[in-house]
Amino acid sequence: MTDTELYTETSNDFMSTGGKVLLFDIEDNVYGVEIQYITEIIGIQPITIVPKVPDYIKGVINLRGKVIPVMSVRKRFGKEEIPYDERTCIIVIEYDNIAVGLIVDKVNEVLEVDPEQISATPDYKSVNSNRYISAIIETQTGIKLLLNCQKIVAE
Amino acid sequence: MSKFEAGMEAMVDMYIYETTTLLEQLDQILMKTESASSFGEEDINEIFRIMHTIKGSSAMMGLENMSTLAHAIEDMFFIIREEKPVITNTRDLYELVFNASDLLKAEIELLQEDSYSPTDFSGAKQKIFDFVDVLKGKAPAGNAAQGTAQAPAATAAASQSAEPAEQKNSDFTAVRVFFEDDCKMENLRALLIINKIREDCEKLEYEPADIETNPESAKKIIENGFVIRFKPIGPVENITREIEEALNVKSYEFISTPAKEEKAPVQPAAAQPVQQQASQSVPEKKAEAPQQKEEGASVEQINNLLAQSKSGGTKQSLISVNLNKLDQLLDMVGEIVITEAMVTANPDLKGLQLDNFQKAARQLRKLTDELQDIVMSIRMVPLSGAFNKMTRIVRDMKIKLNKDVDLVFEGEETEVDKSVIDNLNDPLMHMVRNAMDHGIEDTAEERIAKGKPAKGTITLSAYNASGEVIIVVSDDGKGIDPAKVLAKAKKNGLLTKPEKDYTEKEIFNLIMLPGFSTNEVVTEYSGRGVGMDVVRKNIEKIGGSVSVDSKFGQGTNFIIKIPLSLAIVDGMEVTVGKSIFTIPINSIKESFKLKPKQLIKDTSGKEMIMIRGECYPLIRLYEIYGLEPSYTDLFSGIIILVEAEGKSACLFADELIGEQQVVVKPFSPLLNNFKVKQNGMAGCTILGDGSITIILDVNNIISNF
Repeated sequence: MTDTELYTETSNDFMSTGGKVLLFDIEDNVYGVEIQYITEIIGIQPITIVPKVPDYIKGVINLRGKVIPVMSVRKRFGKEEIPYDERTCIIVIEYDNIAVGLIVDKVNEVLEVDPEQISATPDYKSVNSNRYISAIIETQTGIKLLLNCQKIVAE
Repeated sequence: MSKFEAGMEAMVDMYIYETTTLLEQLDQILMKTESASSFGEEDINEIFRIMHTIKGSSAMMGLENMSTLAHAIEDMFFIIREEKPVITNTRDLYELVFNASDLLKAEIELLQEDSYSPTDFSGAKQKIFDFVDVLKGKAPAGNAAQGTAQAPAATAAASQSAEPAEQKNSDFTAVRVFFEDDCKMENLRALLIINKIREDCEKLEYEPADIETNPESAKKIIENGFVIRFKPIGPVENITREIEEALNVKSYEFISTPAKEEKAPVQPAAAQPVQQQASQSVPEKKAEAPQQKEEGASVEQINNLLAQSKSGGTKQSLISVNLNKLDQLLDMVGEIVITEAMVTANPDLKGLQLDNFQKAARQLRKLTDELQDIVMSIRMVPLSGAFNKMTRIVRDMKIKLNKDVDLVFEGEETEVDKSVIDNLNDPLMHMVRNAMDHGIEDTAEERIAKGKPAKGTITLSAYNASGEVIIVVSDDGKGIDPAKVLAKAKKNGLLTKPEKDYTEKEIFNLIMLPGFSTNEVVTEYSGRGVGMDVVRKNIEKIGGSVSVDSKFGQGTNFIIKIPLSLAIVDGMEVTVGKSIFTIPINSIKESFKLKPKQLIKDTSGKEMIMIRGECYPLIRLYEIYGLEPSYTDLFSGIIILVEAEGKSACLFADELIGEQQVVVKPFSPLLNNFKVKQNGMAGCTILGDGSITIILDVNNIISNF
């Protein structure tokens, strides 16, 4: 119980307190998702196609009796899709009781992020994926982009 | 959650449920009596009892403000009941009670929020007191306002010690009750005891006599104890047991018992027979036990009060169950149904001759079917509850807008799933308000001039039709002016095609777009331009649809279609390429292989199919959904004739797989953003093997493709 409380606290302001972030790769970029939103990470599963939805929504999967939509993060960010392999993962996130699976090339590691490593995103409207990034994390190994789970789920 | 005393928190839900139910009952009674413009004795008693219960349970929850407000009303009805004053200003009375009922309801709402602080009801109370004064002024026996029952006790209270009174009442048993230290509101607790034992007593007096009205009496009770003098109908033990079991009672003692031999005044305490001394110490010990069971006892008490108020004393055969539990049960049953299919249709069994197994499987199937039916029926609630709430709204608006309107119900016994009902209240309210405000003409003259009866009518009707419940909110008012709607929509930039391309039906449905409101003036009830938009959203949330139909000058119908149940449907599985779709059986009329002579093409090359002299449009599922089919040749695949809302069409799919009952899982809100519903997908379901199929919404397919 205390864990969840702790998480809710950090969620209020990740920018000022920092927290744990799961990193995953898409092409050359490293993205991060705040760990508090992640329900689980599963391997690629049979996906049921849902017609007439945007192409980045790949369909729905059966997650132990729950039907959740899955989206290709590559497609979402306007990149070419690559065939799924044994490293392809679905990161199941939940925001505001809405669950969604994110198909990513591979997951990396969990990183503890300090507040001073985090900076706000520059206001470039022209960058397509910018809307889905809530912050930039600078580490010794490079720049990581933090996904805005709310935007991902809501739009 | 420190708003309640420890041990009370568990009862908050119960309290809220109970009080809300009671307030609804109150509204119903008021509405009934107001339209009949007569207060029957029964109604007065009922109101009295409702207020009494609310007072009692509110006090127990420590919600003093609610308790005292309820008390004020109770007092008022006490006077009305006992003295039957001639009430000249009935309207004020109704206004007072309605107002109080609203305040209490609002308070209950507030109570459910975390940051609750009690509202001050003193203004409302003062109004009631003023009204009571008026009542009393008109009542001949005005000074006996506190009622006959209390009057003798009041005289008794006048003399400091209780003994002199016993001169007259020598056949009374007198008991002094002490409450636990710091249990708070001793007067109300005392009142609870009195209420409990009242039925079993031929005569009953108590001191202090003003426990109901005077909070100060609590102090007296703490100092001197609470003295009850009674003449029981049955054995004295019945009464003493009630007292023992009452909440927060620390101890009690006998002051006097019926004087058998002489009428002489009984000397206090010293004159007590030894026996009494003994019985005094025994119950004292006994009284400690209930103290520990306090929590259980108090729940019981609420239940008792609830039972009393509901059925006027008879045992009730209803229980209230947490909806979450019911949902869990439903989910569970859904899973069982799927699992049953997984077992009985297990691929491992293929080709095996298993007579006994088949027999047992059939039995299992029958039982799971029944189980499912029962669970579904548990959740079904008649619409009358939702309808009845509208009576109140119509009543209030009738007065405020000064329009004379009848509210008529039809088919209110129609049942729908509980989850549907919950989402139906707001839309219904909006629509009824709209009908009252915009629909019905402003004056009776206007109506008469149009050849309509002076009194307007709003009809709420409900009926079942092919697996759906249809609710119609109709009024016989002004109707909607299509030209006005179109102009307004244009002004607000809501039009998506040239004006002249809009059909009348399309125009009416513009009303339900966000940011549309035909009324220029914002009134208290409607006209903020959010109404119909919210209605549509709420209805769509539960898988339904709303449409508008109107004849300018004659009236407007709002038609709501909602699924009977959100949970389980009989479905036929069909394949299209690699995808599997489920079509609800109740919308399938037949399925067949196409014969060449049945196929017709119209001038634009659109395909149609002729069945028994009727022509139906053909919809290729793979085409509308952009899928890779196994067959594009119409003669190789299968044709399914479907019907919804009087419209029929033929769907073309690869093949039929079979029939199965499926548990409908709604789409994630994420997908709903992409109008999956409009594209003919109602939800999805998980099959026995764990794969997902999409359930088709035939109505939307026919309308939109």
